[in-house]
Amino acid sequence: MRQQSQWSNTLLSHFKLQYKVIHALILREIHTRYGRDNLGFLWVVGEPILFCAGVAILWTAIRPAREHGLAMTAIVVTGYVPLTMWRHCMGRAVKAYESNGSLLFHRQVTPFDIITARTFLEVIGTLMAGVLVMGSAIGLGYMKPPQDYGLLLLGLVYQSFFSFATALLTASVSEMSDLFEKIVTVISYLSLPFSGAFIMVAWLPLRYQWILMLSPMANNVEMIRGGQFGMGASVRYDLFYDTWMTALLLGLGIILTAGVRKHLEITG
Amino acid sequence: MIRCVDIVKEFHTSSGVRRVLNGVNCTVQRGEKWGILGHNGAGKSTLLRIIGGVDLPTSGQVERDMSVSWPLAFSGAFQGSLSGLDNLRFIARIYDRDYGEMRRFVDDFAELGHHLREPVKTYSSGMRARLAFALSIAIEFECYLIDEVIMVGDARFSERCRRELFEKRQDRSLVIVSHSMDFIRDTCDHSMVLRDGKMTICASVQEGVDMYNNF
Repeated sequence: MRQQSQWSNTLLSHFKLQYKVIHALILREIHTRYGRDNLGFLWVVGEPILFCAGVAILWTAIRPAREHGLAMTAIVVTGYVPLTMWRHCMGRAVKAYESNGSLLFHRQVTPFDIITARTFLEVIGTLMAGVLVMGSAIGLGYMKPPQDYGLLLLGLVYQSFFSFATALLTASVSEMSDLFEKIVTVISYLSLPFSGAFIMVAWLPLRYQWILMLSPMANNVEMIRGGQFGMGASVRYDLFYDTWMTALLLGLGIILTAGVRKHLEITG
Repeated sequence: MIRCVDIVKEFHTSSGVRRVLNGVNCTVQRGEKWGILGHNGAGKSTLLRIIGGVDLPTSGQVERDMSVSWPLAFSGAFQGSLSGLDNLRFIARIYDRDYGEMRRFVDDFAELGHHLREPVKTYSSGMRARLAFALSIAIEFECYLIDEVIMVGDARFSERCRRELFEKRQDRSLVIVSHSMDFIRDTCDHSMVLRDGKMTICASVQEGVDMYNNF
């Protein structure tokens, strides 16, 4: 067998190694979470589908068909897909390092890789679920196809990065503070009104709109709805603010993640 | 070479901060076989984990310019809910090794048979030790970190480890923590003694054993 040669110090080889590690982590995550029966990836998509489709059907059935002149099903789908993405990324990140202590026995696996792999899986899973739910709703005539795919996509990309930043922050802070770990579900519930999933900025009185627009996620959902409804809806988002805020959170998350190892007590 | 420079490790316990390692310095050259002696709770395993990069020291640093295994002990390095085979596959991926080659070696060395397909959490500690050794030998590290407790027991397995690690791979470095004087005398060519958070480097293995016995 070959001698160990992976510690050669070029930047490219580091990136290659990190890519391999993240790839291996993703495959491993699929196996650990759902068993080896190859149903793994199906369930990554299946869980958000059940959630989004369930809520969409329920709301379509019990609520009026239109709200503020917009189709109910489309409102629910465009709100729930980003919300599910964000909440799953956050939920998966709580105490992610301690529960995966055995991974950190291998020096090439870093906390950053662990969260990247998990977030990637959640984001891809939710997006595929979103496509399927949306496709069925369109096929069944409950929803119109998106008017502006570009804006829709932009909103989803921003939301993915925001979810990634949230996951990095949650993972690190939950290892540093037990209190945070306990109240993280409360925080995620209390932040629902600010998610923009159930409300649009334009539905608020003009002088309170700025509050909702402080939340990057509300901006993202506005973009997604802008893409869905086109000129039919009046959407408000601040791309400049959203970009800087998401970048700031991402930067903070990366800094905390880089320093989190000394807070960990790994039991394997 | 592995060099530990002023390693300090503190743990936060209910009765306050406990300093387990208090400025440990040591160097392991290529091919050297070190035995670390010390009483229970002296911090031997902690030091091994710090050398292996599992735990970070509170202060001080570890420099490595050879590939170093993870600390081979009963716990760690495996995901209990995954089968032995899935763990193997993951480790082959992250260490960039050929899966088939590794699988053959592990089958041959660990003799786990159909257990390889079962979750690692159902393994006995002996089986776990066999898997850990088989995998780390297949990766071909330049330095192995071994907690001696996992070598006790099964004579057949000990013999096989001896052959693969101490005979076929004589050029590798070893760092072994142990209570067993005989084991250290047989396998190591250097020794150091850990006591009260300080490390004493001994001139010979025998000197370390004597020092340990006189505590």
